Amino acid sequence: MTIPALIDKFDTAEIVRDQVASILANEIASQKALATLAAKNPADWDVKVYTERANPWANNSPTANVWWDGSTLDPKGSNHVEHQVYLATFNVDCYGFGQSSNVVTGGHVPGDEHAAKEAQRVARLVRNILQAAEYTYLNLRAVVSGRTITTIRNMQPQQDANPSQHVAAARLTLEVKLIEASPQVAQETLDALGVTIKRASDGQVLAQADYTT
Amino acid sequence: MGLRETAERDLGRILENRDEWGWDITLTDPSGTSAPLVGLSYDISQSVDPDTGQLITGRFAHVVLRVSSILLAGLAIPENVADSSQKPWLVAFNDIQGTPYTFKVSHASPDRTLGSVSCTLEGYAP
Repeated sequence: MTIPALIDKFDTAEIVRDQVASILANEIASQKALATLAAKNPADWDVKVYTERANPWANNSPTANVWWDGSTLDPKGSNHVEHQVYLATFNVDCYGFGQSSNVVTGGHVPGDEHAAKEAQRVARLVRNILQAAEYTYLNLRAVVSGRTITTIRNMQPQQDANPSQHVAAARLTLEVKLIEASPQVAQETLDALGVTIKRASDGQVLAQADYTT
Repeated sequence: MGLRETAERDLGRILENRDEWGWDITLTDPSGTSAPLVGLSYDISQSVDPDTGQLITGRFAHVVLRVSSILLAGLAIPENVADSSQKPWLVAFNDIQGTPYTFKVSHASPDRTLGSVSCTLEGYAP
């Protein structure tokens, strides 16, 4: 016996991953517009958002990459048949690129410091957006019961590589409690049975059943 | 002349021969004083691992210069300048297509035995 229906849907974890990226992209666009209205440089709120990227980056733009790390079953909210509750882990890797540059009034901006602070700027934006009250359930209330950024880690750059281009990264770990459903057995009516429950005068519970023929 | 002096003199033929691998390099110290030199220069592609499991397409640039030529030009041995209130040592050279690039000296390894200095470079916006 096989599953009769085509499995033609995304799992909740995949939907959440794409939703996180969509929220970030939309909010960053909104932040840049707000910055312009506030007479500030919108480039200071710019981040390019990607999902599940593994190819090497070649651009120098501040970047966030959202990827699904995995899911762990929460047995308390799950049942063996119909739906399971998972704690899904998503990583948002924030990249900052820095280049040393001249300061006209004196001195220079060190590229390594610039890269690290850029990565932290991206992480700051991502954390504020994803932890905002509007996104408590990531706009997926039916399948998401909560989300929290549990870890923020600044990566240490390699010291021995000596690249000409400074790159720094910070990783935010987002944990989301979500529900996954799975194909169910289609109900088959074996017989129709009507039961009337009555209580006798002595308190005894009686069942009167009607069988269709 | 001992072997070490001979080796130092040979640096002129190894590093500064324009008919072989020598390349025009301009060295500028933090005070803004520049000197045209000839040395070995490298500017190649390199993958950078920021420790996320994702590689970045990066760049690795490097020069090797003869110390006696630097001193003769009136400059000191270049070094990394960490203090952001100061200007760094700068190195400028063209790539093989003639496109000019300016770099900051991020790390210098002088060889005081034989008289060369190897400088690791990072991108710099002048």
